[in-house]
Amino acid sequence: MKQRAGFLYTLPQILWLLVFFLAPLCIIIAYSFLKKGLYGGVEPQFSLEAYQAMANPSILMVAWRTLRISVIATILTILIALPCGYSIARSSNQAIRLFLVIVPFWTNFLVRIYAWIAILGNEGFINDIIRWVAPGSAGIQFLYNQWAVVLVLVYMYLPYAILPLFSTIDKFDFTLLDAARDLGATRFQSYTRVLLPNIRSGLVTAGLFTFVPIFGAYAVPLLIGGKDSYMLGNIIADQLTKTRNWPLASAISMTVTLSTTILVFLVALRKPKEQKWVFDADPSAAMSAAGGR
Amino acid sequence: MNRWLRRLVLNIAGFGMLAALILTGGCARSTDKTLYIFNWTYYTPDSVIQKFEKEYGVKVVYDTFASNEEMFAKLKAGGSSYDITFPSGDYVSIMKKENMLEKIDRSKLKNFANIDPEVLKLCDFDPGNEYSVPYYLGAAGVAVNTTKVQNYEKSWSIFERKDLANRMIMLDDMREVMGDALKYLGYSVNTTDQAQIDQARDLINNVWKPNLLKFDAEAFAKSFAAGEVWVAQGYAESIFAEVDKSRWGEVDFFIPKEGGPSYLDSMVILKNAKHKDLAYLFIDFIHRPEIYAEFCDYFGFPSTVNVPARALKKGEMWYRPEDLTACELKKDVGADLEKYNAAWQVIRVGK
Amino acid sequence: MVSTTHHGRMRRLAMLWRIRRILRKGGKAARKFMPVRSPASNLIYWAVIGFLFLPLFVLVFYSFNAGRQAQWQGFSLVWYQRLVMDSPELWRAFTNSIMIAGGSALMATAIGTLAAIGTTRYSFRLRSTVATLSFIPMILPEIVVGVSLLVFFAGISLKLGLFTVWIAHTTFNIPYVYLLVSARLEESDPSIIEAAKDLGANEMQILFRIILPMALPGILSAFLTAVTLSLEDFVITFFVTGPGGTTLPLYIYSMIRFGVSPVINALSAVMVAGTVLLVYPARNFLKVFAAR
Repeated sequence: MKQRAGFLYTLPQILWLLVFFLAPLCIIIAYSFLKKGLYGGVEPQFSLEAYQAMANPSILMVAWRTLRISVIATILTILIALPCGYSIARSSNQAIRLFLVIVPFWTNFLVRIYAWIAILGNEGFINDIIRWVAPGSAGIQFLYNQWAVVLVLVYMYLPYAILPLFSTIDKFDFTLLDAARDLGATRFQSYTRVLLPNIRSGLVTAGLFTFVPIFGAYAVPLLIGGKDSYMLGNIIADQLTKTRNWPLASAISMTVTLSTTILVFLVALRKPKEQKWVFDADPSAAMSAAGGR
Repeated sequence: MNRWLRRLVLNIAGFGMLAALILTGGCARSTDKTLYIFNWTYYTPDSVIQKFEKEYGVKVVYDTFASNEEMFAKLKAGGSSYDITFPSGDYVSIMKKENMLEKIDRSKLKNFANIDPEVLKLCDFDPGNEYSVPYYLGAAGVAVNTTKVQNYEKSWSIFERKDLANRMIMLDDMREVMGDALKYLGYSVNTTDQAQIDQARDLINNVWKPNLLKFDAEAFAKSFAAGEVWVAQGYAESIFAEVDKSRWGEVDFFIPKEGGPSYLDSMVILKNAKHKDLAYLFIDFIHRPEIYAEFCDYFGFPSTVNVPARALKKGEMWYRPEDLTACELKKDVGADLEKYNAAWQVIRVGK
Repeated sequence: MVSTTHHGRMRRLAMLWRIRRILRKGGKAARKFMPVRSPASNLIYWAVIGFLFLPLFVLVFYSFNAGRQAQWQGFSLVWYQRLVMDSPELWRAFTNSIMIAGGSALMATAIGTLAAIGTTRYSFRLRSTVATLSFIPMILPEIVVGVSLLVFFAGISLKLGLFTVWIAHTTFNIPYVYLLVSARLEESDPSIIEAAKDLGANEMQILFRIILPMALPGILSAFLTAVTLSLEDFVITFFVTGPGGTTLPLYIYSMIRFGVSPVINALSAVMVAGTVLLVYPARNFLKVFAAR
């Protein structure tokens, strides 16, 4: 009975993804094993060329660069998002604070990137100020390097990290922090030993929401990065739209997907072994709900 | 609260279905009086479209793409039901080979006679123009901010200047930039000779690239207008669209004397187009002298393709038809594109 | 254990809960009057809001610029005038975007929330398969998703247009909703549901009175994320859209070759102002979910 109810809840999603996702996924897998068509598309002929082409040193180097940028940007994003999520969860007006985080992202992405160029560019606001303070100086070139890419990536994905952190921190019973302090923990310890383990799934989700899209980032390195900021997303896009090598694009995508999935299985989705609810979490919510308001 | 929530959930479900209905309904309304155009953005001015709609009492749906490759990938997969599109020469031949184009019935196009025979001679991607009607012949060039850079030669060698390092930009476009280097070295922009391609690659990678701020096909005009860069390789129409009219005098746009790759965009009717008659009407409409002149004036283009329109043009133009003489039309290089890919990857991936 | 009858147990539980509720309310009230526990986190929050809004200020500033480029050339409302008077294409794209964002976010939120409830509350054999399947659409590069969906739609000869865009957006939104809501639910205590069951609540009551209210912050976050992702998407939309299905990002990207007009700045300013004007009066209504 229980099993069937769970399955029923999940059924719409299973069906939707089976039809609209698994089918295209199979197309990609198939493409990666076919011969490339001269003008895009594929020839119906088995080939491992795409996977062989991936061993190209420049692709491997870009993969390494992409990994490095993604890890740094993800860590920075989460470090900044954590106190934000905490602050929203403890605020008396959560909804407004949430909206403030997300609203800037309802304006077009390209337009916001242009705005960043206007702020940080060689002729941008900050450099105007620098030149005003120190006349005659040439200003500082902030943009067009990998750190600028990291900065704008952090900017781009902060909300996606803040939202899951907020929604799990909000569920956290803050009296536990007091309890920990009463038992002699320092403030720092109360956060690392009590808060963090209890919002683990929020941290994992936030990590995924930032790492995964950053790993596939395409436009930010193109617009903000300099001449040496190509990332894996750019390579894949080039294979599809410029060099018309669909099998290679599929092969890179498959490899990225497979390795990320394995990583996620090993690290993130594994359930913690012991039950983490030492204290009774928050039955009052259930009670007040069950009792009716 | 609970009732509110239940209502919310029901509403969500309801809305979802409603949205689905509206969206399916939205796609279903297509009439015989509608022409579906797939074009580069703004490549046909709104005013021209509106005149066409008014004169023939039809509706035009105008969707856009940003590169030939995107357009091709999209149409190749099928299912998008456009009538007309505007590929560049190399893609006309590709689409022709892939059997995606409808043969043009010249008898329905009385204004075809307005097209410069010199331009028709260039159309060896489609000999005899059986499948395509030339729309516009142009080339990317170099824009210089003359308030910052005064002494310069109108040559690709400007990208060798170390004193302008980090103040110059080139398009993130393989065939364009490689073509510039090949022309500068005195080769064809369509060469398939590995040694020549390697030489061009090394020129870009070792001499030009160290002086460039970045490769950018998207924001180059913005960067130029904002003063981020002083020298930009790119399209005149983009540059002048971004630079404020009051400062047009500060911009010098030139096609380098060595020439570069030029492009010839053509109008083609897609196979299985449902509104062929409208498509013919539209193509013929474009080549009316007064309409073609309006199009050129809108962008500051020279009237490269339509001869009678040259006399009717009023506005300025950023370059002249004769500037293009040293240029060479980009052609499809077939499987040899791999050579270009490999060279470009070395340049773009960097260190 | 005085009474082991069902009735007796229920009464005991109900009393206990009432006490806890009073205690908890006291705690919540006390929390408000207590000095802010972590001023540092608030400080960081507002700094981040400043950081996120910084580009918007620039946009609003430029939207009042008479010229069309970065240098300030005097105050003018010309871009707003253009936005209102002659940007029919832009407004069409805008309406399409809003419809798609709203429609796909609603659909994805409904589907993803149900699935999250299903997988966190019940264990069944397919559970980990569902979790993985839901997760992969996130990892695949968008452009690959776009092209493969295009090939797929063409294969089943579905006409490209807003409908296919809606399908695609719902598809890439589902994993985000699913993960967000699961994260919220995973951290909650299953004994609440057991207790409610003991109280005689049926499945519907449990869903509407306990699980959904409990998941609400997660659901709201998920919905906002989905709307945002949908409003932002360019790559996938480009491939799956058809005649007349131009969305706002598509429209803006397609301006690139001839310059992105400052009308877009004006539109951005109007959108932000509009959102604030819509949300601010609704703030009390929105507090509902904070006052579970």
